[in-house]
Amino acid sequence: MSITSDILRGHTEAIILAHLLEQDSYGYQINKDIMKKTDNRCELKEATLYSAFRRLEQAGYIGTYWGDEKVGARRRYYSITEEGRRAYQDYKREWEEAKAVIDQLLK
Amino acid sequence: MNERIRKYIDELFADAPKTRKAMEWKEEVVVNTMDKYRDLINEGYNEEDAWQMVIHSIGDVTELFEELREENPLSLSEELRKKRALLNAAAAGLYILAGVVYLAWMLIARWNFFYMYDEVMMEVGLILAALICIPPTCMLIYTANMYPNFSKKEDNLVENYKEARYLRNRARAVKTSISAIIWLVTLIIYFIVSFVTAEWHVTWIAFLIGGCAQAIAFLVFSLKHDK
Repeated sequence: MSITSDILRGHTEAIILAHLLEQDSYGYQINKDIMKKTDNRCELKEATLYSAFRRLEQAGYIGTYWGDEKVGARRRYYSITEEGRRAYQDYKREWEEAKAVIDQLLK
Repeated sequence: MNERIRKYIDELFADAPKTRKAMEWKEEVVVNTMDKYRDLINEGYNEEDAWQMVIHSIGDVTELFEELREENPLSLSEELRKKRALLNAAAAGLYILAGVVYLAWMLIARWNFFYMYDEVMMEVGLILAALICIPPTCMLIYTANMYPNFSKKEDNLVENYKEARYLRNRARAVKTSISAIIWLVTLIIYFIVSFVTAEWHVTWIAFLIGGCAQAIAFLVFSLKHDK
């Protein structure tokens, strides 16, 4: 379990980028999607989520804006930038390579 | 329960730096946590279990405080402060220069160097001084607008209101400055053209043009503002 969560933590940013590829989203929505996709096995902590958002924003991979909810609290939405899309493609390629190598080594 | 969540997160963030970023993050955590709690209750969890789960999923927020502290948006960076001080000092220097030029011109005028009438010489000196005043005025407006003094400290109604009022005041100040510059320039052009051409019966049109320029400038300004 600890290896799983360690590995997952290393990929937080890429996981977020992958979600933003589909549509703009806010923190809890992203987390909910992640839980749904993984059958509740994986959930990002608020602190982890936010520090990933911060790094992505500083790198220029995501932008942010306030939503205009008519009811309830205002949410901060995140959207992926062109640079973010490129970074995601690079990341995906590298991950495929790494996965292939590790699979070979652990055979 | 929402109050309990807010109170808990307020306490978690008690040591957070008092920056806009940190306050916005806190609001994000509060909203996310309330959403999650509501969903868990809807899924059939009892209150206490749901509470434990949402508290657990916040994680360790304190390790991010140090990072957030470093970039304090409430104060200008050293570089920007220096630039601003430099621009203000240069503007003050140019105003003094304008005065000096005017006095020096008066001295020269007394020698009647250019074989012109004394009155004309005086007017030309005044115009020169006024021309020198244009760049420092622009610089002061620039520094006042490029580096705002007010930053939102807390995301609440009072601060939002303060910020809105501040923005309104600033917009009014910019408008006043724009019209001051336009009329100053109009006046200078009026005098220069009038003295050069001596067509005083025509040159007053400059003021009509000035009025048009002001109307256009305000229009552009409010269009930009509404965007």
